[in-house]
Amino acid sequence: MKILNKLILAFLTTLMFAACSKDRLKEETPSVLTADLLFQNRDGFELALNGLHDEVRRYRSGQPFNNSPTSTNFIMNMQAVAGVDNVFGNYRDGLMDVFNLYGTFNNPSVPHYRHVFTWLYETINAANTLIGRSTNADINWTETEKNRILGEARCIRAWCYRHLTNLWGDVPLTLTESSGTNIRTDWERTPIAEVRKAMEEDLLFASQNLPDASSSDIRLIKGAAQHYLAELYLAMGQYDKAKIEATKVISNTAYKLVTARYGINRNNAGTPFGDMFIEGNSKRSQGNTEALWVIQNEQLVIGGEANNIMRRMWVNRYWSIIVGGKNPIQISAENGGRGIGRLSPTRHALSLFAANDERGSAFLWRYYYILRDGGFIPSGNNNRTGTPYKLGDTLFLDNTGIEKLNNPNWPSTRKWDYASPVDVLIDPQYSDQVLLRTAESYLVLAEANFRLGDLAGAAVAINALRSRAKATPVTASQITIDFILDERSRELFSEEDRRYVLVRTNKLVDRVKLYNKISANTITLRDTLLPIPQDVIDANLTSRMRQNPGY
Amino acid sequence: MIIKKFTYALLCLCILFTIPVDALAQNTILTGKVTDENANPLENVSVVIKGTNMGTITDANGSYRLSAIKPSGNIIVFSFVGFSDKEITQAQGNVINVQLEKSSQSLDAVVVVGYGTQKRKDITGSVVSIDKQRLENLPNSNFAQALEGALPGVSVNTNGGGAEGSSVGILVRGRKSVLASTAPLIILDGIPYNGSISDINPSDIASIDILKDASAAAIYGSRAANGVILLTTKRGTSGKPVISYDGFAGVQEISNLPPVLQGEDFYNFKVQREGIGAVTLSERAIYNSKNFANWLDLATRKGFKQQHTLSARGGSTNFKYYASLSFLDVKGVAVNDKYQRYSSRINLEANLTPWLTYGTNTQLSYNDRSGLPATFDGLYGAYTFNPLTTPFDSLGNPTIYPWPEDKFFANPLAPTLAKSIDNTYKVFTTNYLQIKVPFVSGLSYRLNTGMDYQGRNINTYYGRNTRSGSQNNGTLSQTNSIVRNYTLENILNYDRTFNKHTFGLTALYGYEYRNTTSNTLSAEGFPSDILTFYQANVAAFAVPRTSFEKETLISQMARLNYNYDSRYLLTLTARRDGYSGFGDNHKFGFFPVIAVGWNITNENFFSQNKIIDNLKLRLSYGSVGNQAITPYQTLARLSTRSYVEGNQTAAGYIPTTLDNPDLRWETSTQGNIGIDFSILKNKIFGTIDYYDVKTHDLLLTRKISPVQGIPEVTQNIGKTTNHGFELGVNSVNLKTKDFTWTTNANFTINRNKWADVYGDGKDDTLSRYFIGYPIGSDFGYVFNGIYQLNDDTVNTPQGKVSPGFAKIRDLNGDGIINQYDRTIYSTGQPDFTWGLGNTFRYKNINLYVFVHGVQGRTDPNSLMSDNNVGDGVRNTTIVKNWWTPTNPTNDFYANVKSATKGLPVSFVQNSSFVRVKDILLSYDFSGRFLESSKLSRMKVYLEARNPFTFTKWTGLDPEFTSQSVIPLQKEFVVGLNISF
Repeated sequence: MKILNKLILAFLTTLMFAACSKDRLKEETPSVLTADLLFQNRDGFELALNGLHDEVRRYRSGQPFNNSPTSTNFIMNMQAVAGVDNVFGNYRDGLMDVFNLYGTFNNPSVPHYRHVFTWLYETINAANTLIGRSTNADINWTETEKNRILGEARCIRAWCYRHLTNLWGDVPLTLTESSGTNIRTDWERTPIAEVRKAMEEDLLFASQNLPDASSSDIRLIKGAAQHYLAELYLAMGQYDKAKIEATKVISNTAYKLVTARYGINRNNAGTPFGDMFIEGNSKRSQGNTEALWVIQNEQLVIGGEANNIMRRMWVNRYWSIIVGGKNPIQISAENGGRGIGRLSPTRHALSLFAANDERGSAFLWRYYYILRDGGFIPSGNNNRTGTPYKLGDTLFLDNTGIEKLNNPNWPSTRKWDYASPVDVLIDPQYSDQVLLRTAESYLVLAEANFRLGDLAGAAVAINALRSRAKATPVTASQITIDFILDERSRELFSEEDRRYVLVRTNKLVDRVKLYNKISANTITLRDTLLPIPQDVIDANLTSRMRQNPGY
Repeated sequence: MIIKKFTYALLCLCILFTIPVDALAQNTILTGKVTDENANPLENVSVVIKGTNMGTITDANGSYRLSAIKPSGNIIVFSFVGFSDKEITQAQGNVINVQLEKSSQSLDAVVVVGYGTQKRKDITGSVVSIDKQRLENLPNSNFAQALEGALPGVSVNTNGGGAEGSSVGILVRGRKSVLASTAPLIILDGIPYNGSISDINPSDIASIDILKDASAAAIYGSRAANGVILLTTKRGTSGKPVISYDGFAGVQEISNLPPVLQGEDFYNFKVQREGIGAVTLSERAIYNSKNFANWLDLATRKGFKQQHTLSARGGSTNFKYYASLSFLDVKGVAVNDKYQRYSSRINLEANLTPWLTYGTNTQLSYNDRSGLPATFDGLYGAYTFNPLTTPFDSLGNPTIYPWPEDKFFANPLAPTLAKSIDNTYKVFTTNYLQIKVPFVSGLSYRLNTGMDYQGRNINTYYGRNTRSGSQNNGTLSQTNSIVRNYTLENILNYDRTFNKHTFGLTALYGYEYRNTTSNTLSAEGFPSDILTFYQANVAAFAVPRTSFEKETLISQMARLNYNYDSRYLLTLTARRDGYSGFGDNHKFGFFPVIAVGWNITNENFFSQNKIIDNLKLRLSYGSVGNQAITPYQTLARLSTRSYVEGNQTAAGYIPTTLDNPDLRWETSTQGNIGIDFSILKNKIFGTIDYYDVKTHDLLLTRKISPVQGIPEVTQNIGKTTNHGFELGVNSVNLKTKDFTWTTNANFTINRNKWADVYGDGKDDTLSRYFIGYPIGSDFGYVFNGIYQLNDDTVNTPQGKVSPGFAKIRDLNGDGIINQYDRTIYSTGQPDFTWGLGNTFRYKNINLYVFVHGVQGRTDPNSLMSDNNVGDGVRNTTIVKNWWTPTNPTNDFYANVKSATKGLPVSFVQNSSFVRVKDILLSYDFSGRFLESSKLSRMKVYLEARNPFTFTKWTGLDPEFTSQSVIPLQKEFVVGLNISF
């Protein structure tokens, strides 16, 4: 009996503890992708590269906002284009005050700064991960394949540091993959010279290993790396090197300026310059020889959606204009789609164009609208014709006076016009957009020549662009730094990172005071660099991170 | 007298019925009827012959029959949850009728404690049981509604209204965690239950017991820190089948709406704020026509609710069953808010051999949540939607763009146009084998298995008659998810008594496995709206996704209950839990608890006391955990960030989380001291508890430097504390032959605060974590009245202001308002909460009034802001006492855009409330009516739920966390219970 009892007890005990093993608690992760799993072969690196390109594309997307992944109100690149000499915030809402009013509005707690900072370092970490894992000897790839992939990743990493150094000056330099077991709370701001040195190495590597051109529109090409290298040398004050790199770009036949009509709209009225901004024309494969880097979007394709909001930012609220008791201009593709007019040109930006300059033509700027909707014909007489308003009448915008807030009756750029063929009211934009084109390299060359005292060389570079736009050529004696900046605005309005150029040329405060009436009274020298986001400083628990002066 | 005669008649009837069944048995048959103090039959009472394994359960008529080997002198023990045990020695005859005394918290009651039951007098932990009155006869849609305000230390927060009524948060002894769930573990018939509370039909539930302190809850180790709710469903009975119908039907009305600025008032507000130029053409047209839209009216309606349950119970000594079928149908107070539940249950128990018992408790349910209610919250929501807009087109259909100029706005009624299917199918089954191990007296083995299988299918299609459908040519979202839980438990029980030593030993080895698969599809761009969900194959764009999660839990637990002479009690419990989701460095957690009890009244020196009937002291100390982590949280994961080339997807991935091999459970170290008492011949009895809980390894999302590329990481770093006092009292205030008045009251104080955040003694202002203050405290600038006409408005701490602007308190007095002038202005923690139930019974008429209150609490009223109207006054707001030069109030600032100069100003209000939750009037038929109608029981009742609320709060509801959700409903219900 007793033996039987013991046997039963022993049996039950065994049953209870038999399966007790730590192995059973090992997580099965069929649905989880980790870096170890991804970076095993060349395909994995290509996939990681696609991820990096998506990150770059977010530059023109809505920022992350509260709990939603993106906001359609504020564009990620706002700080690079708003509150400068040629752009002001027309329809204000929160973030616009920062760049319209500076002062106390421009402070370390502005959430937008945190979003931008976090996004750039997220991209850097993704690039670091790719670059660091390429040393794995087990990967089966050729040296050329490997260096091309690394070239793209390193170019994108340098592109991120380009934004960081231009916005904040000294920033922490990190070139290795982050790990959860080594969380740092003692980051230091690396002197900008050291960061630039790392950028130079990345861009040199990229310019040596990227191809001149690619059959794929999403691959980075040599010209982009060379351009950013030239721009970097400008910032470093190495003007001769800047000239060399910029010359490499413009002398490369692969990167020819667009000088003739091309693409899907070539048989309609237009200009060669304007053709580049028409959806269907932006990419190199579509005939845009000038393009160095084009970001891709596509409606109704997975991966095509990036919440690009360039149109929302730049197209004005023409649909709210009231004339004769009506809103005569309704939202339509012809009118550029539904804009919310956050950003508008200053009077100065509008006044830069001579009459013959195609860059200032009505193909690039919205100066008037046509009455197209019979249901919304204003009552009363058209004050230009003196007869009652009728279908087909032209309604001119008020293109006089200075910039003022909440003004729908004000011209806007047409570079980002877009309306989805599915529905004109859809918020995001699905057009491909030029991020960088050779024209900018000409302007970098002009600036380098100017700094080297070669005013004639600067004039030649600038005239290449002016002649393409049918604008009167300039002479060497006309070249000043302000002329170069004006020329940049004429050529690159809303495309360039205006703030970086103004900071590089030490002109931000002067020109804002001169040309942007909204921000003129409040901008100070302090605003040249943005404040380091408070979260970045707060998270640095064991070492105090230096704030930029004045904040 | 009539009742007695009737009872006797019924009893004879029962005996008559039962005789043939056991006519062949050689044993003595004992029969009888068990009733409560009011002679109502009690079903489910355990009837056992002491010292034997022979026992049964009473049927719905309270009758039992039981075979005994001895012809006489049997000692019969009657026990029933919520009632005192009674032992009766068979004197003469075989009919033993018994009246049990109600004692839901009394010391002799049998309580479900997890992995077994115990008599309350033997329990060392803090366990509360719900008053049965709140489970039966109240028109509950789910069991949480029965709990609200009814138990000390258990709070049920209604977060919003709605037909389903499942938007509730149950908290046991306050909130301890921030990131981790604060919900208690729910155990349904012995098996962890992970589903929605809506899936359990409350009329199937026989008892609810809640384990509050470490001693009671420790058996559930890593999941016990938030307390444990044990739900036990109704069992079969031996005896003739009893068929019952329980049903109710009633209307729902809105309890309260905040005063929203409507029509002309809104127009004036808008013009005053931004000038006539801000008024768009269509707004002006509506203003001129006075054809204003009242969106709250359009989005609400009178609701309706009904439930019908049919059940049957019965069985023989060796085979018992309970089966039920139920239908719940609610049409909520929000337009198109609907909920239906169909459920069935079958509980069987069979004694296959004298030593082997098999049982199953199986529930099937089907939930239909189809239909989307109108939008209430957010910019499109009915609360703040611009009244100068057009809700319907000329055909009477909701407009796509109610505000033609501002195409941002969709119609709040748009969801009501969506085609919607939302069905959930669930099987929850527990099956067990119980073996009495031969030759070892008191040793038994139980194999407990549970399977929970849930499939949910959600289809939503927005057609071209809505904004999103119109912009995308129809949008479709589909989710098909399957959740599977398996539980396998081996339980050994050994119960022995040697002289005055009583041992109860429980050992457990358990294994749980859970896996979740979800397939979703979002698609847009359809040729037409005709085929709604059934045309994904022709969508212009479709994104299918599949997600999968698997988690495994391995547990060992041992519990020793020892008592000496029913005077000194000891409980030792230890549980070791291993969970797959924990980090590699911490796969197993260990949770030990010790508890002692002292039945003082059982001491000889106490036996002479005439006032105190029972007095017990309980002490417990130990640690329990909060598992809190979801699968894969410890791994460095990549996220999909795809790019595109032409019209080809270019799949892409980037790293978005950091690995964390140290991630583990939260630990709560809990101490409890409690007294159970009963005085004046059990006229007053109850419990008093004081507890102190320290939670460490609190999971928090720590912001780390974004330089790492990932700006936050979850770590076990924080510490919180809770201490509190709980009192639960039951009293029989008055008792005469025809009239009784009883009271059930509870009172709870809980004090929660942060003890540490990141281990460095510093607050986290960004996340609002403040050491020394409760979780969820509100922090910001303090409103200090209004700048008046005579005030200096040029040199103020806020710079230059205008009269009518909001004054902000300069806390540090440095003459400038900046971030250092922010403070904690409200904690949201009440001084105390209470519940009070009074039952008055006169003959067959029963009146039950239950009142619930929260006292001494303040909260910022989120509706008290004009900022939500936006630039251009695109939304409306609630009516306020705005400052004007002729109304120099200090209540609210002037109606101008920058009256707070860009700083957020909150308006703190007293959110205390007293709510009459239930008024229930019922009538039990008896005597001749029942006899002539052949019914064994019949009851009709009228119930008013939430009929009155008393509060100073001016928002939607002081109980709600959000003030712009579907409003709370009042219910007026008529019900009927009949048994054959």
